[in-house]
Amino acid sequence: MTQTNAPKMAAKDVHVFYGDNHAVKGISLELRRNEVMALIGPSGCGKSTFLRCLNRMNDTVASCRVEGNITLDNEDIYAPKIDVVQLRARVGMVFQKPNPFPKSIYDNVAYGPRIHGLATSRTDLDEIVATALEKAGLWNEVKDRLESPGTALSGGQQQRLCIARAIAVNPEVILMDEPCSALDPIATAKVEALIDELKEGYAIAIVTHSMQQAARVSQKTAFFHMGDLVELGDTTQIFTAPKKERTRDYITGRFG
Amino acid sequence: MTDHILRAYDDELKELRSIVSRMGGMAEDQLMAAMEGLRETNVAKATKVRNADKALDQLELQAERAAITMFARRAPVADDLRVVVAALKMTGLIERMGDYAKNIAKRTCAIAEGDPVPMPATLDRMASEARGMIREVMDAYVHQDADAAMDVWERDENLDNMHNAAYRQILARMMETPDHINTLTHYLMIAKNLERIGDQATNVAEQVYYTITGTLLEDARPKGDQTSTSLLVNDED
Repeated sequence: MTQTNAPKMAAKDVHVFYGDNHAVKGISLELRRNEVMALIGPSGCGKSTFLRCLNRMNDTVASCRVEGNITLDNEDIYAPKIDVVQLRARVGMVFQKPNPFPKSIYDNVAYGPRIHGLATSRTDLDEIVATALEKAGLWNEVKDRLESPGTALSGGQQQRLCIARAIAVNPEVILMDEPCSALDPIATAKVEALIDELKEGYAIAIVTHSMQQAARVSQKTAFFHMGDLVELGDTTQIFTAPKKERTRDYITGRFG
Repeated sequence: MTDHILRAYDDELKELRSIVSRMGGMAEDQLMAAMEGLRETNVAKATKVRNADKALDQLELQAERAAITMFARRAPVADDLRVVVAALKMTGLIERMGDYAKNIAKRTCAIAEGDPVPMPATLDRMASEARGMIREVMDAYVHQDADAAMDVWERDENLDNMHNAAYRQILARMMETPDHINTLTHYLMIAKNLERIGDQATNVAEQVYYTITGTLLEDARPKGDQTSTSLLVNDED
């Protein structure tokens, strides 16, 4: 395996408990650059819970306990010395509902770089904001109104603004939790095109309820069911000839 | 396999599969009817076969429409996707089988116009072999039997060998009786038609196998037909 193909993030035997509820049962998988992994499965299957372990979003849930091992560049992200704020900059997240801050478009994107001290001057910051908005495919639509509130944008634009905000701090991994479920088909297509472009620079994992979206944007697909990772494989294989019956039943709409 | 949550989807898949099966049965019937017309040099029977071919064309069109509708509305994946894709290809292949049967009937009408020349008995044997292949591959489809499909796939060599023999026999007869060369040429072409029906059945077997297993068979099948690469050598003895 070449160096560039080495896993960016690796989960080994990850279990998650909410109190007595065993929500994620021994998941092992790896995220790589140049590869989008889709996490699919019915509601409550553990896919979002697992995704949130990858940047320690579950830390804020009091009853939640995570076991097993998750590494970013071979470093344990649950080790005591890890700065969680720093970790979340390296492993960014985009949520189901676009959630821009009640600030200007500019400040939404500049927020992360400011708190992480990534810019030494206003010119620097302008540059970072412009680059992030360009990468998110939003620059041309907003460059003349950077001071308008982010919340004034359309849903699809807001979601791309959130993606710009995530990539402004130079993350290595981007986690997306149903990023298109609130968007219309055109806005969805734009976000999907963006995901496809971004995968060259980042390792990406996306939770989606849309089988077609998983088929369209991902190279690898992981099917979760009742906390288990039932099947993980190349997306083409999963969608043409899944090996497990449970996978087939789910993606073809046979689940009772 | 369990049913879809959406029942209409199951009904559509069932209907598509049923079109494929019906077409297989019709192709088999057309082949047998064409051979009967040929054996008896019966123009009325041959004409009936020629006209009946339209029904196969119609069914193919119907399958195509159904498949396109399903792609558009159901976005089939996994086993469902394989059923729809394979049905599209299979109906095309079966329609071709029908064309070969129709061509036999057409040639029967031409043969009827000339001097009577007895039909080489090999053609009958080839037809029954080809029919067996159609029947078995369609049974494999209906019963979702990948092994049976594989058997048909492997067995095409028999028909190829029969074709090689028929080819040599008919050419030999051409040399013995040059006056019959016109009719014998039709018989030669009919032998080729029968061999091609076997090829189509083999291709159908590949689709059946793919539908069931998800594995595309490589084109590694033993090829027995040598008639397009060999010259007729007159046996000296």
